[in-house]
Amino acid sequence: MTVTEPTTEQTTEAVEGQDQTTDELVTDDVLVEEISIDGMCGVY
Amino acid sequence: MPFDPADRYRLSPRVGLRPEPFGALAYHYDTRRLVFLKSNDLVDLVRSLEDHDSAAAAIDALVDPSTGRRSTYLTALASLCESGVVEPMLESAA
Repeated sequence: MTVTEPTTEQTTEAVEGQDQTTDELVTDDVLVEEISIDGMCGVY
Repeated sequence: MPFDPADRYRLSPRVGLRPEPFGALAYHYDTRRLVFLKSNDLVDLVRSLEDHDSAAAAIDALVDPSTGRRSTYLTALASLCESGVVEPMLESAA
């Protein structure tokens, strides 16, 4: 049985290089995030 | 089919929507994809879509225009349409 990690196809805002002064970016949020559960067993 | 705010939409009957503290978790039974709806307002919007003549009207009924978040919800609905969580309601020909 092969179990693979879920793949995230759309993520929230990139956090690389973010510092404490860029909190306002969080308010410009992404309200939808989609993942695939192909390969995951026993989830449902 | 690209998302058109002027069209009428509904939550797909092939999608299960489970309430969560952050909003809701949608599971599409055909594509086997999970979609996180990360806002309770977005969940309310999705559930109310078919009560309005258009997606734009549904947003206008729910989102205070002074908040400037209309475009955020339009983007979210477009994404949900692309993933099949919401779908256009085809008017039956008389």
